[in-house]
Amino acid sequence: MGSQGDVRNGEEENMAAWLVAVNTLKIQPFKLPSLGPYDVRVRMKAVGICGSDVHYLKTLRCAHFVVEEPMVIGHECAGIVEEIGSEVTHLVPGDRVALEPGISCWRCSYCKQGSYNLCPEMKFFATPPVHGSLANQVVHPADLCFKLPEDITLEEGAMCEPLSVGVHACRRANVGPETNVLIMGAGPIGLVALLAARAFGAPRVVIVDVDEFRLSVAKDLGASETVKVSTNEEDVAGEVELIKKAMGESVDITLDCAGFNKTMTTALNATRPGGKVCLVGMGHNEMTVPLTPAAAREVDVVGVFRYKNTWPLCIEFLRSGKIDVKPLITHRFGFSQKEVEDAFETSAHGGSAIKVMFNL
Amino acid sequence: MANGAEIMVQKKDGGEEENMAAWLLGVQTLRIQPYQLPPLGPHDVKVSIKALGICGSDVHHFKTMRCANFIVKKPMVIGHECAGIIEAIGSEVKNLAPGDRVALEPGISCSRCNLCKNGRYNLCREMRFFGSPPTNGSLANKVVHPASLCYKLPENVSLEEGAMCEPLSVGVHACRRAQVGPETTVLILGAGPIGLITLLAARAFGAPRVVMTDVDESRLAIAKSLGADELIQVSTEMKDASEEVVKVQTAMSSGIDVTFDCVGYNKTMATALNATRSGGKVCLIGLALSEMTIPLTPAAAREVDVIGIFRYRNTWPLCLDFLKTGKIDVKPLITHRFKFTQEDVDAAFETSARGGNAIKCMFNL
Repeated sequence: MGSQGDVRNGEEENMAAWLVAVNTLKIQPFKLPSLGPYDVRVRMKAVGICGSDVHYLKTLRCAHFVVEEPMVIGHECAGIVEEIGSEVTHLVPGDRVALEPGISCWRCSYCKQGSYNLCPEMKFFATPPVHGSLANQVVHPADLCFKLPEDITLEEGAMCEPLSVGVHACRRANVGPETNVLIMGAGPIGLVALLAARAFGAPRVVIVDVDEFRLSVAKDLGASETVKVSTNEEDVAGEVELIKKAMGESVDITLDCAGFNKTMTTALNATRPGGKVCLVGMGHNEMTVPLTPAAAREVDVVGVFRYKNTWPLCIEFLRSGKIDVKPLITHRFGFSQKEVEDAFETSAHGGSAIKVMFNL
Repeated sequence: MANGAEIMVQKKDGGEEENMAAWLLGVQTLRIQPYQLPPLGPHDVKVSIKALGICGSDVHHFKTMRCANFIVKKPMVIGHECAGIIEAIGSEVKNLAPGDRVALEPGISCSRCNLCKNGRYNLCREMRFFGSPPTNGSLANKVVHPASLCYKLPENVSLEEGAMCEPLSVGVHACRRAQVGPETTVLILGAGPIGLITLLAARAFGAPRVVMTDVDESRLAIAKSLGADELIQVSTEMKDASEEVVKVQTAMSSGIDVTFDCVGYNKTMATALNATRSGGKVCLIGLALSEMTIPLTPAAAREVDVIGIFRYRNTWPLCLDFLKTGKIDVKPLITHRFKFTQEDVDAAFETSARGGNAIKCMFNL
């Protein structure tokens, strides 16, 4: 039974999934702020679960962000506009929109130079202390709500968020029609990176993982070759050879979507002189890697944090069919207490679960 | 021959000068011995070497018979930072004439591979580089070299300054790759020869503020005299890293845009990665350890990029221009001078290896 919100005094009560303690999510009322002139109120329809959401559930923290009081979870979302603020001109009630989660300050030098993803004052759905969007409704700036074309579903709209990570990584690493790309890890992020790399024109994409099922998904999604690898650091040299053979030509860019010592070591050693390694996956803080030999071949290491200015491009990729994210949505759940718990358990389990999606 | 005698032009039978060079024969064993030159090709020049500086890599080859993946398997002439006077030119050489004073770019790339054709010739896998085994170096009376790698010195630039173009090129290439300009604040870790030329290059590229660190106070004093804005003395203890990050950030007073690690240890890279502002760049120049244990993830998650440096490309014209206009003055870096004798060669390498107040040891031939 979906939690649509009890009607009280003729008004619907907005409900959300709150992270109240370790491994404890509760659907509870979520009072919305009032609608500002540049805001819209959106009825949530599709929300995906991210690895960071799972991490918060399990540990109440993610990197240096700590959940100190109950917080609404979730940030990969799309919905239907229900109400618009007085100054909103580009959206009307009924519009289906994908939401970009983060509200930056627009006053600091990062924002003014276009690197708003690095804004120190960023308010991001479900990054404490900011509430997320696994809720019946949210209030959000209209300029962060992007209208979906007719033939793009709300679920695809929600997928724009993880897809944006792949798109931003491809931009930062300069993926293009002449760059052969190696992707470490065929999890949700490795797979969106694969889709993005192909959309950016990468002629060959080789993807590696420890899990054969995930590699088969990657193959279906257009990987040129897949290579099964181990978690054993001693296997690096052999795997670098296998990867080079699978690529056939030089590895120009590697996207490490796992972020372990071994994957970074493989990445640094496999990438050609003058190439780039993009560290997307965030594993341990401290890494032990053969940085010097790579630096001495001018292999640069590029970092990514979330994304910037990616929604229009993601939507265009989906609209034109250059990218099809639908195969990544492997599990669906409704918005009830039990289903919320089951969904997070499924997502945390990994394996055959790529993207777990709520339909509200 | 007597140890103290200058090795200039030893006459062989037939009145030809015998070319002599400093050969690396084994660990810590350099011997001045004859060095037969290859014939002069149509695009080559024969250069009488006049000034040659010692690099840390020369010392490393000297001490260990290897440097990274380069292994000295047979006797090899040492040295690569050099300048001299043209003695003869090949038949196709048009822009140089005997008597011209030139600075030499050491590395001959293949010009056929994709890296060369895309302008990144410093990464050419077939590179033949003075003093990188198995290619003989240039601590010799004469060498034969492609004319296209010999750059005429402006009138007001000395041969010693010409030889300094080589280490200076490392700093110039690093500033280019890290995009140093009038808006980039720069932190330089390490005030050794490479840290100091990076300072000079950063200033020439317009960096508005440069903070430098080192463990050695005397090197920091040199950095100050060469134009560093603030100096911070640091330790070799990893436990001091976070405190030192605060110190350098405070010294810079605004965000640190670019950090050059001219040392290349875990601690310096950790400092660099933590001190640089989000969206900034860390440029790893110092090539010390093979494997590093560093806080890479938090830096990557702030989009602090790590840029690698291998030698340089297309830097001599710019270096010579900087020297000609006085935008860069490398002369203070030349702290010790030696002649081309067996005794002085031994002493020079010992002095250079010692470090300390020896910044650049220069041979005058």
